[in-house]
Amino acid sequence: MKKTTFLKAALGAAMLFSASLSAHAEDVLAKVKAAGTLKVGTETAFAPFDYIDAGEHAGLNVDLFAEIGKELGVKIEWVALPWEGVLPGLEAGKFDVVAGPATITKARLERYRFTVPIAEATVAILKKAGAPISKPEDIAGKAVGVGKATAQLAQLTEFSATLPTKVDIREYPAFNDAYADMAAGRIVAVANSLPNIAFVAKQRNGAFEVVLPPFGKKTYFGFIGTKDADHASLVDAIDAALLKMKADGRMAKLQEKWFGQKFDTPDAVKDPAF
Amino acid sequence: MSFKLFFLLLKAAGWTLSISLVSILLGFALAIGLSAVLLSSKRLYRAPAELFISFFRGVPLLVQLLFIYNLLPFIGLNVPSVVAAIIGLTLCTAAYQAENLRGGFESVPRGLIEAADMAGFSVRQIFLRIKVPIAMRLTFPALVNEAIMILKSSSLVSVVGIVEVTKMAQDLASSTYLPIELFSSAALIYLVICWSIALIGRYTERALPGGVK
Amino acid sequence: MIFDPNVILKHLPEIIQGTGVTLALWIAGMAFGIALGFLVATTRRYGGKATNVVLAIPVEILRGTPFLVQIFLVYYGGPFAGLSLGPIPCGLICLTVYSAAYYSEVFRAGFAAVPHGHVEAAECLGLSRVQIIRRILLPEMALIVLPPSVNLAVILLKESAVLSIITVPELTTTISAIGSQEYAFLEAIFLLAVIYWAIVEASAKLGRIAEARLSTFRFSAP
Repeated sequence: MKKTTFLKAALGAAMLFSASLSAHAEDVLAKVKAAGTLKVGTETAFAPFDYIDAGEHAGLNVDLFAEIGKELGVKIEWVALPWEGVLPGLEAGKFDVVAGPATITKARLERYRFTVPIAEATVAILKKAGAPISKPEDIAGKAVGVGKATAQLAQLTEFSATLPTKVDIREYPAFNDAYADMAAGRIVAVANSLPNIAFVAKQRNGAFEVVLPPFGKKTYFGFIGTKDADHASLVDAIDAALLKMKADGRMAKLQEKWFGQKFDTPDAVKDPAF
Repeated sequence: MSFKLFFLLLKAAGWTLSISLVSILLGFALAIGLSAVLLSSKRLYRAPAELFISFFRGVPLLVQLLFIYNLLPFIGLNVPSVVAAIIGLTLCTAAYQAENLRGGFESVPRGLIEAADMAGFSVRQIFLRIKVPIAMRLTFPALVNEAIMILKSSSLVSVVGIVEVTKMAQDLASSTYLPIELFSSAALIYLVICWSIALIGRYTERALPGGVK
Repeated sequence: MIFDPNVILKHLPEIIQGTGVTLALWIAGMAFGIALGFLVATTRRYGGKATNVVLAIPVEILRGTPFLVQIFLVYYGGPFAGLSLGPIPCGLICLTVYSAAYYSEVFRAGFAAVPHGHVEAAECLGLSRVQIIRRILLPEMALIVLPPSVNLAVILLKESAVLSIITVPELTTTISAIGSQEYAFLEAIFLLAVIYWAIVEASAKLGRIAEARLSTFRFSAP
């Protein structure tokens, strides 16, 4: 292998990048209906929205998309990736929409189109039982875990900057890994959205505790689609299905099932607090 | 740990086995072509093959898989997870196997080829009767090693969405909080498969022409 | 799709730091791995049959399971068994032990490749075991173990990317975090590939230079 071949390789790869895909305008909703399957990308380590319960894919996402599938008359095909790979996968066209869900943030709205919010996403602290944290500010200087490439990480980073001593932020591939590491004692707290940590605290009864109030600004979770015109009709259809479920009470029932409470979510988030 | 969890791991091992097996076979086929190009006397032919091998041996499989999964769609090749995983492992193993085969063919003693030539063997006969059996014999142990390497590397294909043994163990560990039991069981499954491959490899090697009977 | 090199320039300091962590872990893991591997190989050769068999078990387990599973077991399982290591020490230990298993096999093959007559001759001349290892086995097998050692080094560098899964702040972790933060996914994958490739090509080149030096030494030595 000579230096020249290496250079050629770099050039070849660069050409691969510049070779843009010829835009084949095609309505994604029509395509999905014709194929009879909606491909949904997600991460299966985000209980209670999306997780593996003794080998079975479960959570609010699974139930909600089952209903969305009924409304659209299609089957749901799940593609589970590490969270870091989910948004790139959406952009590469590996699936039609992303479940997640993801926090609706200003930065993400610039790049993606969100569906109708499905739950509250405000970030709070989950601590190891007995850890000396009684209010969010107490995490200053402590090791706190959070998921990689998440809005929760962005909010924790912002919060950390306001504290006298910075938080020792540890980024994990998935929130599950952060919980596992808290159980192992390498970190004392995890920052994640309230519905998630409330569920985890209940599951691990006694081992973990939620620290109130939340430190983050009030935010909401939504599913994610791309902004391009091809996908517009699909996201519109998912929005319509979600709004219908909100109106007929199915959404509230599912929220009760998974969170033990229902959330008063707006029908759309145009100007997120974060 | 319940039997049910172990059974789930075994089921996921089906993916590990099938993806690895298909990749090794496809990789071998591709490697034959590649090594033929590598043995060519023309630099112009060799250069692209050398570039291919250098890339797939020089970049971590994790990165290769992401490359294939996320970049191919931009040149119009949007393949599903299973295909992406198989392409990734196939290209990677083809690069290693091609080098191995090239080494094997180059190690066929020149004297043997000359002798066969003197004895009136045709070029085709020399290739099929002399070069191929000797090269096979020489490269077989490395091929078995490569099969084991690919089987182990398949633990990374979860980054493109395949739930194989390792990912299943990880998923189960996070809902049952039994990491030691689950990851040890996953390790055990890999060990049994790897040792079986090694064992079959040894028996096959003995059965090859020129083997120790 | 447009390739934006500005993202790379903006985060250059972090990228350099991540590359540094990868290089440091790789070289340290390999150095300790070579030392431990050599120890295992010599013990297996001279420690008697029982020792040989007992040491074969961990070596075969380490070689027969994916590095990723080993890391998961130690990192997430360890604390349940009273072994709670931080990501970097855990990564370094796993890399060391994993490479030691492979290097021990390289050395074993190297020992086996030295003609038996040479060792016997040295024994007849009254050389001690340490002298035989130092004066006969090591120099004679150096040229034999070099190519597989370089190959192994490259494999280990690539395996070290897996450490990103347990949050070690190495190259893959750093660059993929930048990619997500800037929504520059493709630039990130591309950059990762190029950096690893460059390191691998550089080390392969070093390996070839070392091989050339060693072989002239070997053939010109009296």
